[in-house]
Amino acid sequence: MKVQVKNLRKEFGNTVAVDNISFSFDSGHVFGFVGPNGAGKTTTMRIISTIEEPTDGDVLLNGISVREQPELARKAVGYVPDSLPAHADITVHEYLDFYARAYGLRGRKRTQAVDAIEEFTNVGGIRDKHLKALSKGMKQRVSLGRALVYDPDVLILDEPAAGLDPRARVELRELLGLLAERKKAILISSHILTELTEICNGVVIIERGKLLETGTIEEVLRKSAPRRTVAIRTLELNQTPALLKALLETPSVENPRAVGNEVHFELGAEEAAACEILAQLIARGMRIVEFRQTKADLEDIFMNVTKGGVQ
Amino acid sequence: MTNVPGRIREHFSNWRQWELNPVVVKELRQAVRSWAVTGMLLLFLAVLFCTALGLLITQTVQFHVDQRVGASIFQVFTGILTGASLLFIPLYVGVRLAAERQDANLDLLYITTLTPARIIRGKFLCGAYMTVLFFSACMPFMAFTNLLRGVDLPTVAFILVCLFAVVCIAVQIAIFVACLPISRLFKVLLALFGIGWIMPAIAWLTFVFYSMMQSGVGSLMGTSNFWNGFFLFFSLALAGTILLYLLSVALISPPSANRAFALRGYLTCAWLIGCLVALYWVFKIRTAQVILVWGLISLSLLALAMVVVVSNHDALSLRVRRDIPANPFKRATALLFFNGAAGGIIWISLLSFITVGVMLIVLHGATDRTPAFQTMSTDDLDEFTVSIIPTVLYALAYALTGLFLQRRFMPRRSPKLAGIFTVLIPAVLALAPNIALFFANRLSFRAMEATQFGNVFNIYMVHNWPQRTAHLICAAIWIIIAVLLNARWFANQIKAFRPLEKWTPAPPPLPGNIPPVMQTGEGVS
Repeated sequence: MKVQVKNLRKEFGNTVAVDNISFSFDSGHVFGFVGPNGAGKTTTMRIISTIEEPTDGDVLLNGISVREQPELARKAVGYVPDSLPAHADITVHEYLDFYARAYGLRGRKRTQAVDAIEEFTNVGGIRDKHLKALSKGMKQRVSLGRALVYDPDVLILDEPAAGLDPRARVELRELLGLLAERKKAILISSHILTELTEICNGVVIIERGKLLETGTIEEVLRKSAPRRTVAIRTLELNQTPALLKALLETPSVENPRAVGNEVHFELGAEEAAACEILAQLIARGMRIVEFRQTKADLEDIFMNVTKGGVQ
Repeated sequence: MTNVPGRIREHFSNWRQWELNPVVVKELRQAVRSWAVTGMLLLFLAVLFCTALGLLITQTVQFHVDQRVGASIFQVFTGILTGASLLFIPLYVGVRLAAERQDANLDLLYITTLTPARIIRGKFLCGAYMTVLFFSACMPFMAFTNLLRGVDLPTVAFILVCLFAVVCIAVQIAIFVACLPISRLFKVLLALFGIGWIMPAIAWLTFVFYSMMQSGVGSLMGTSNFWNGFFLFFSLALAGTILLYLLSVALISPPSANRAFALRGYLTCAWLIGCLVALYWVFKIRTAQVILVWGLISLSLLALAMVVVVSNHDALSLRVRRDIPANPFKRATALLFFNGAAGGIIWISLLSFITVGVMLIVLHGATDRTPAFQTMSTDDLDEFTVSIIPTVLYALAYALTGLFLQRRFMPRRSPKLAGIFTVLIPAVLALAPNIALFFANRLSFRAMEATQFGNVFNIYMVHNWPQRTAHLICAAIWIIIAVLLNARWFANQIKAFRPLEKWTPAPPPLPGNIPPVMQTGEGVS
């Protein structure tokens, strides 16, 4: 399943919520959808889920247009909204059964699908509990189960980790990992960027409805933060001046500086240059006990590329 | 719109796979778990039991044996059943739906295979099943009354069928109110207003059922008059319920749906069937005025529809445009029935003019055939003709003027403003001259009977022919001006009513099209 967002635009009156954005992701990919509040993430996700119509552009789900064939397209998409189910007098099992019926599953097929989802999302033990009695984490599992009950190929999750405790987050992360293994194409929006770095293999960054960056995490890191910081610690502290001198003489090294008992510098070149620098330093008799690269993470990239503007 | 007969055929050929509406299953599961339903049912049974016991004990201590004790007890049971089912069930269904409409996840249902029509049907059926539950609880008590004499089984069955139909209508009204896009406070006020109306309705129904028992429905069932009356009321109630159902469906449909299609289609069919039935009765009882019942009801409904239609958005959603036929003839027909103000105004104008035309043809035609047909006197007929035509023209002129004011001067504001103007213009034209007369200390019935151009209500206050003719001319001139003012807008709307074209991405800009600022490097730091 390939999801292609093409020149998508959505206007609400005079406000342009999504402005000509394009990106794509595939089966087995978990793509993080990142942007400040009001950037247009939810609108984009609602368009992919066929809840909203685009003003212009299109989204193709394996070639099926959400613009021209929304009925067909929505069979491929499961949408988990940012708000959780709040029905007062319905049990977990009845809730999932209702949505299975609503998606047109019948007879044994429905029973099997609901049982399988309860097992997968680990809500079997609470299937007879009322929704109102569930914790946020459990509600999130039920919400995910609702979206998965008819086995869609694409999963759209809008802020699923918001308000969850660390254990619930870890469990959600594991579930998403399992779904990616099952070849689902997943688009997930979140403000917890460290979380996204761990589970996503791609990222889309938008702001004010405009696309800022997209690609695999490595591509985006390479593009948005081409320099890496290298930290070196020597066995004896008195080697620091000699180390700084040696680094200053190396052409690919920038801004060497002493930070505590370490020396830090920026490396603009490829990773192979780091190997050469390490080899040279050892050849010069430096007694190095630690040599590590600190890569920029998604949070750094996000702070670099966005300006914090909302519409 | 697309291949409806094929879908119906497929639906019926797969009858083995039919399942209950998911909404009904969910609602009934929630209902049986609800304390409100269980409590109400227990209370209802307790009241029935205590009443039966009380009535039987009082009978045993009476000196004269009542030969109609069954009828007396049945009447009390009917009152209790009417009160319980008519008050509780619509309120329960309406409150639940209104609460669900506040849910942030409501639109999740739109990405399932459930349609808004199925959701409303599910809610309605849940109300109907609950009514059956209450009736079933009452049934043993009612069957018992038959053993006590004084009431026949056809009467019991007929009264229960009528009561069931009334409760179903009340449930549909409650669903409609719950779907209205108004605040919770207004919904509560409307519910209180409805309960205020239900109380006298319960009293009236109890009286009607009592009268039926007294006269004995079984003996009347052999007469055609009974069935004529029954089917007339039943048809009107059914038509009203279907209208409310379609309105509810339109109200909960997503904005991108073709909300107008089912409603306009249904109203056109109802209008046509009403016309045929009215014509049948005109010829059957040879009374031309019967056509007025249909004509005036149709015109009143069309006037209400006009306020809604002018409030429609101009831009059609992609999903509506996808269904626009490519064939020019089919497209012209679709224009009348699809979303959009322009098509709606043309549709209403067409039906209004045909309605007036049919009424006048029947009334004038009947005059020519006098005395075979009973009809109005020539004077009354002329007065009617010269009143109804300017009334319809004024109504259309108000709508077109409201439309022009909003589209021309406030295009960025909501089109609902056009609907508000359509109501405000006649109100202002009716009130302003009389307020002016009041402050000039010249307000009198005689003054109000003077011609007030543009005031639709004044048509029915003026007495002489020239005044009505003046109104007719004024309305005709106004509508011509209004049509001319909106002509460009109409033309644009009709031009824009085209099928959706396959989306193709815009080509990238050619080198020659690069903006000059980029070519010169100006402004680039």
